[in-house]
Amino acid sequence: MTLTELESLSGEAGDFTVTLRQSPRYVDMSKCIGCGVCAEKCPKKVADAYNVGLAKRKAIYVQYSQTVPLKYAIDQDACIYFKKGTCKACEKHCPSGAIKLDDAEQLLTRRVGAVVLAAGFQPFNPKNLGGYGYGRYPGVVTSLEFERVLSASGPFGGHLVRPADKAEPKRIAWLQCVGSRDTKAGSHSYCSGVCCMYSIKQAVIAKEHAGDDLETAIFFMDMRTYGKDFDRYYEKARQSGVRFIRSRIHSLMQPDPETGQQKISYLDESGASHQEAFDLVVLSIGLEAPEGFRSLAEKLGVELDRHGFASAASFAPVASSRPGIYVCGALAGPKDIPYSVMEASAAAGAAASELSDQRFTLVQKKTYLPERNVAQEPPRIGVFICNCGTNIGGTIKVPEVAEYARSLPHVVHVEENLYTCSQDTQDRMSEIIAEKGLNRVVVAACSPRTHEPLFQETMNNASLNKYLFEMANIRNQDSWVHAQEPEVATEKAKDLVRMAVTKSALLAPLLEAELPVTQAALVIGGGAAGMTAALNLARQGYPVHLVEKQDVLGGAARRLLHTYKGEDVAGFLEGLAREVQADPKITVHLNTTIAGVQGFIGNFKTELQTNGSSQSIEHGVAVLATGAREYRPQEYLYGDHPAVMTQLELDELLRQNDKRLEEIDNVAFIQCVGSRDDNHPYCSKVCCTHSVKTALELKRRRPEANVMVLYRDLRTYGPREDLYQAAREQGVLFVRYAQQEKPVVASQDGRLNLSFVDPILGRPVAMNLDLLCLAAAIESHQDQQLAQMFRVPLDGDGWFLEAHQKLRPVDFANDGIFLCGMAHYPKPLEESLAQAQAAAARAAAILGKGNIKVSGLVSRIAEELCCGCQICVNVCPYQAISFHEGRQVALVNEALCKGCGACAAACPCEAPVLMGFNNRQLLAQIRSAL
Amino acid sequence: MKQEKFEPKLLAFVCNWCAYGAADLAGVSRLQYPANVRLLRVMCSATVSPHHILRAVQSGADGILVAG
Repeated sequence: MTLTELESLSGEAGDFTVTLRQSPRYVDMSKCIGCGVCAEKCPKKVADAYNVGLAKRKAIYVQYSQTVPLKYAIDQDACIYFKKGTCKACEKHCPSGAIKLDDAEQLLTRRVGAVVLAAGFQPFNPKNLGGYGYGRYPGVVTSLEFERVLSASGPFGGHLVRPADKAEPKRIAWLQCVGSRDTKAGSHSYCSGVCCMYSIKQAVIAKEHAGDDLETAIFFMDMRTYGKDFDRYYEKARQSGVRFIRSRIHSLMQPDPETGQQKISYLDESGASHQEAFDLVVLSIGLEAPEGFRSLAEKLGVELDRHGFASAASFAPVASSRPGIYVCGALAGPKDIPYSVMEASAAAGAAASELSDQRFTLVQKKTYLPERNVAQEPPRIGVFICNCGTNIGGTIKVPEVAEYARSLPHVVHVEENLYTCSQDTQDRMSEIIAEKGLNRVVVAACSPRTHEPLFQETMNNASLNKYLFEMANIRNQDSWVHAQEPEVATEKAKDLVRMAVTKSALLAPLLEAELPVTQAALVIGGGAAGMTAALNLARQGYPVHLVEKQDVLGGAARRLLHTYKGEDVAGFLEGLAREVQADPKITVHLNTTIAGVQGFIGNFKTELQTNGSSQSIEHGVAVLATGAREYRPQEYLYGDHPAVMTQLELDELLRQNDKRLEEIDNVAFIQCVGSRDDNHPYCSKVCCTHSVKTALELKRRRPEANVMVLYRDLRTYGPREDLYQAAREQGVLFVRYAQQEKPVVASQDGRLNLSFVDPILGRPVAMNLDLLCLAAAIESHQDQQLAQMFRVPLDGDGWFLEAHQKLRPVDFANDGIFLCGMAHYPKPLEESLAQAQAAAARAAAILGKGNIKVSGLVSRIAEELCCGCQICVNVCPYQAISFHEGRQVALVNEALCKGCGACAAACPCEAPVLMGFNNRQLLAQIRSAL
Repeated sequence: MKQEKFEPKLLAFVCNWCAYGAADLAGVSRLQYPANVRLLRVMCSATVSPHHILRAVQSGADGILVAG
């Protein structure tokens, strides 16, 4: 439901009634074919909001070329017809009669069980901060504008220019924290969490676009590259010549009237003053809660945090303050894509677990007629050629292509359609298939990526196997890209039709195997993440085996004191463990390890080892939540001096109200102990916030104590910045040290002595300490064995590697196996819990299916041709091929096969056959193409 | 002797999930390019073997692109 907003909500969790206001699109979505003729003919140009005003669009428009759904809409505020009552150019030229100028707003009522709020953020507007001259100085742009400049689909086709005068910049500066980490009026005190990383990315890509002689400089306070692999990216950027200057720029001077250059004055860390001129200055603007969200939240009765984002508790990270309403993404605080995607799955899962008794009650199941057996028939091919209004027919001479198609072997029926995809053509296609006894169908139209499923459905309806269908792409890859050359486009269309017909004559019906799914889950790791995932799955109605190698549930979180928001972790964990143990659907296996795993999605069989005895369990999905551990420091006299301890050890003293804490006067924290170095070249993400939180706690207990934090970059990202600010207000001292000049800790007559170089004085400082807390790295378990058993990868640091770092953050490439918690990467408790809910939601989606349909496009190995060399076993990226020792042949597991064909290409004997793309078909198609 | 302008015949093996989608997007964006190339869709560029390339050369291709 596009163009729709929530008007009001009543009822309660499980039974809400929502009123939705749907604004008119003025285009009939069922008729619009997305051809764009309307926009071409529309005389009215307006600023294109998608390109942040850097380009123009028409009054009838799609936001961008990949818009889903690809349906045009009229911008009523801009449209001439709505202002003056005349024009209607779009209506006149629309080939499918889709324009609906009498469209009206509608109020719709729906009953729903749960609501997910995912309204995102809005970019900070730097006009609020006059000092940067944004909107006045031609060389100052926002990072979002710069993003569009860099984009290949942007206003300049990806060519790097200064938008105001199209000059090519030679020197670009990024100013970090514009609108973030700033307590001035009109700005935000929190850290926006994403800008450091996107600025580095922009600098790197700008250099790729413009060449290495482009000079780039990022002015920053703390470089907050705390995500998975982010620090590596930062290092790489530095090595490729991006300059990083630790200095906050609060304002800009008037630009040079001749060159448009902006001079930037700054102090370096030693206090020396510099001035540099840049052709372009990019303001790294932050994220803020979207306009109007406050009033929506009031309507919904959802609480907001002090920054205007939806507030959620650490222990229920996607639940809003109102039961039945969930929040995810940047609406609940600034965050990046992977974490937003995680929260989205988590919110869906949380909603689903509350509504599990209603699952599938509104689903209608479709039944198909049995397929006609065409195996013994000679090919009888029908070719349907689409004009797509004028999209194809306006360039390509469709009658000529049709005439040519009639001359091709096995073709018994050819017809031209205005729109082959329209419903009446589908009905007609079914009739023709029956009437003419067609057993293969070729459609020459748009792209199989968008339309193949529609035509395959028609095949099914006409009792034909859907794999007896082939498409020729004569629109996206012909008429649209050769619009000025109708002759060659027509010749190309004939070639494409010939290629499709040649292949279709060789097509065979394919089977889609159905495999049952064992309705049970295995969760490995009984920590906070594992327990949350198990409980979530159990609440959705599935039996869960929860495996924990220790003799107690709780994992690493048992050693934590508080979350950064001050919530008590121990109490939460106790409650969680109690719920897990009381749940009849969860079987807890303590003191248990995994001895072996067999099978694949829907059908796993796992060997558990408990105190020497083994047991085999069957499950359809697995969730890996094996956690991580605190690094045992080798440095700073750890283990040699009793006053040196790690964060978790200090948490324990605080929990015990240890007497020692009552006498301490001088405390120091050293950050990045074992992190961001050669052994662990990554940021452990949680330690800055942990130290700041603990420093505050020490100050609370003993205000007269001197508390100092020695850090490299302070990474209290997002709303955690508030803690950093509070700590400074409470008198905690923050002193930066450089990696090359680490602090030195010595013991003199039993007293602990700390010395470091003060970056402002530039001189060494020494002091005695009563307590030294080391922010030790979080390191992985490097669990090669488990990874191999489940056939999932580990990255270079030993973290389990997800299927896609941005878009599939809890999936593995190997289906049916999911990931959550610190086994993925160090992260705070609330993020682990969100990820656990997400993993449970993804896993439940598979269990909910009952059975899995495997695509027909899989590899089959002809055993009589197999020489047993096992090359295919080695090249298969999905470990779908195994070797049968008895028969000395390779076997494909269809459930694991993704149909990539690597085995078929690699085999010296051509034993593997990729169904639907076999060598006979491909070779014939190659010959017919040329 | 009249010299005809040489027009190469190119064959591109394109992966359904990336390059084929990119070629579709080129169409949506109305980018124009010479019509000398024929696209052959495969489900993964791993499907393409040396045999296919040799067959294309034998069949008269002047250039071959594997995009994935």
